[in-house]
Amino acid sequence: MNQKELIEYIKNNFKGIENIKSIDEKQFSITVQKERIINILSFLKLSNFKELALITAVDWIKEEKIEVVYILFSYEYEQQLIVKTYIDRQEPSIESIKNLWEIATMYERDVHEFFGIDFIGNDDKRPLILHNWKDIPPLRKDFDSLKYSNTIFGKFKKDKE
Amino acid sequence: MSEILTYLGKDEEYEVYELFFGPNHPGMSGNFSYILTVDGHTIKKVSPDPGLLHRGFEKLVERRLWLQNIALIPRICVPEPDINEMVYSTAIEKLCHIDVPLRASYIRTIVLEMARLSAFLFGFGGIGGTTGLYTASYWSISDRDYLLDLFEWLTGARVYHMYILPGGVRRDLPNGWTEKLKETIDYLQKRLNEYDRLIYNNPLVIKRLKGLGKIEKELAIEYGITGPNLKATGVKYDIRKMVPYAAYDKIDFDIPSQNEGDGLARAIQRREEFQLSLDIIRKALKDIPDGPVRANMPNPLKFKVPKGEVYVKIESARGEHAYYIVSDGGDKPYRMAVRGGSYTAGLILAQKVLVGCRIEDVALWMATMDICPPDFDR
Repeated sequence: MNQKELIEYIKNNFKGIENIKSIDEKQFSITVQKERIINILSFLKLSNFKELALITAVDWIKEEKIEVVYILFSYEYEQQLIVKTYIDRQEPSIESIKNLWEIATMYERDVHEFFGIDFIGNDDKRPLILHNWKDIPPLRKDFDSLKYSNTIFGKFKKDKE
Repeated sequence: MSEILTYLGKDEEYEVYELFFGPNHPGMSGNFSYILTVDGHTIKKVSPDPGLLHRGFEKLVERRLWLQNIALIPRICVPEPDINEMVYSTAIEKLCHIDVPLRASYIRTIVLEMARLSAFLFGFGGIGGTTGLYTASYWSISDRDYLLDLFEWLTGARVYHMYILPGGVRRDLPNGWTEKLKETIDYLQKRLNEYDRLIYNNPLVIKRLKGLGKIEKELAIEYGITGPNLKATGVKYDIRKMVPYAAYDKIDFDIPSQNEGDGLARAIQRREEFQLSLDIIRKALKDIPDGPVRANMPNPLKFKVPKGEVYVKIESARGEHAYYIVSDGGDKPYRMAVRGGSYTAGLILAQKVLVGCRIEDVALWMATMDICPPDFDR
């Protein structure tokens, strides 16, 4: 199946897709509602999108939303698929997909640490990379790394000549 | 013994201890650690402990202009930095619809293959060092220096080159550089026979590597293993061939693959890909056309990238190295997520495969899987 047929196939077999966009000839993205994320991902896994390349998130602070991104790849069709969903920024939570892909546990732990997203069903919330972190999750847009560094390490002073 | 190790309890036969494998272990590659629960010499549980190398690149790029980041991102990966510049530049070119001149694509191909060769040479040394054949690591690091000399001549820097820019490359090949590269390639070709005798035909290495950390095809795909490790299980998939970037679609080459999926197959796969890289450089040097090396680009200080998102991946020495880049139409990247080649292998597969192995196998397993901590601790 090429990309056009694949988009048709997904559109015909899965209800509730909000938006499909082709990025280039080997890559396209689809947007779904937060409640449908497990359904769409298990449907896609059964449709030969077997590799979960990455789970990540984007903080859209002006829209008060966080975008959760799942990047899949199909070895059969050689297509990269970006699945997106939007969640509330104040109480970010989404269902975990660790039962679909075991590797999602670590990706979700990573995203939880850097964006503060609660993955329901994934109880592994131990710090992975940031040990003893007390500030807000650092990849959120309202976290100012310069201010943080100034308070922790003191203001940068130029050496006197 | 009990001062070094944490005593955890007793099972039927043995006492169980916790062992910190790294960050100061000589067999560990980089600032990373596995906390092993050991029962005698056998590993019962593995928990990876990254975080010692975290530099916050994903946050830092959000504060800098699109072109300022070129100086920052090669620092993500030490053994093979050029892949970062390539992924980043390709992402910008895809978002802005910039066409790269053909000569620049060929130069990029040559530079990327040279970086791959130097990463593989690091890997040869890793296998040598962890099996006790220190000669291999001395040889490969000194051979890598010939490539670094060429990089210094071409780009002015030995390790972090900042040579591949959006729209092309920074400068054309200097006079006499191509001839010197050909000499180095011929030299490395000759040395490969020596490496065969030293490592790949060595009964000691074969005995240690055979059956080590064997993974099946389905498990590898399920766990997101890519690159040489996936090819060693029999999946003939290479991003250079299937989703071509740079000038790989204009160069004719075949992808080697193995079937066994164990440590020996992975080591041999890397050796075969070393040969492939030498061949690709030779073919690229033969076909390289004349012409400009950089497309016309706007003022770097006022450079804005149209709104959009793109996932760009390339084949690194460790597998799929990719960025997910989001632009909001501004002069800085809105979000950049890094997916390193050995993320899943080092953090997740290790917890499954290393259970039941012996302590001395951990370093060797890491060398054959080419685990690189900056991939997940970026």
